[in-house]
Amino acid sequence: MMSYKPNVPNEICPGKEGYSWQTDRRVNSWLFLAVLISAASGFFFPGQVRELPVAWRTMIALSPFLILPLWAGSVVRWVRGMDELHRRITTAAVLFAVSACFFFVLLWHRLEVAGFFEALVPGRNGWDIGTIGHISLLFVLFYGLGYSIFNRRYQ
Amino acid sequence: MKNRLRELRTAKEWSQSDLAEILGVSRQTVNAIETGKYHPSLPLAFKVARLFGRAIEQIFEDQEE
Repeated sequence: MMSYKPNVPNEICPGKEGYSWQTDRRVNSWLFLAVLISAASGFFFPGQVRELPVAWRTMIALSPFLILPLWAGSVVRWVRGMDELHRRITTAAVLFAVSACFFFVLLWHRLEVAGFFEALVPGRNGWDIGTIGHISLLFVLFYGLGYSIFNRRYQ
Repeated sequence: MKNRLRELRTAKEWSQSDLAEILGVSRQTVNAIETGKYHPSLPLAFKVARLFGRAIEQIFEDQEE
């Protein structure tokens, strides 16, 4: 009977047993690029970018989001290489992370509209968490939480 | 659902890692099946049955019966 080594979730969790930098790079390089572009455009937006024509500004603002489907594709390929148990746990954790991110960003937005952050820190007009960097960080945190919840029952 | 996977595996003197490698799954999956925490899919159950040369129902037992 032929055997093959399936992908395991720990391969992209730094510090965990079985972590592989090569796999992490293969799976998450598009996300890293999206975060870089998002950070760069966020840094330049207040200055030079605002002077550009609206078509350019739109392209710069949307470019990280256009890269995200490529990242999603590499994640899907990685998950497909897992065995059935890990695929189930990871899919549940990803769904949990997406839902939690959506809920968190929505909640944050409503608090901002209500003037919560302005009341908290007078003079501050609120914190923008709609960037790819913030959302990626939230996603990673919620994925970690979801993974530990769904993995626990199979240990 | 009960199963005889641990019994069959130890009879062959295989570790969980050995069996996992043969089946193409992780050691955690073999452990979760043996302890009854995870019920394998039909393709995996057939693979296990073929490996040990037995029918599925001789390895996996439905407790509702």
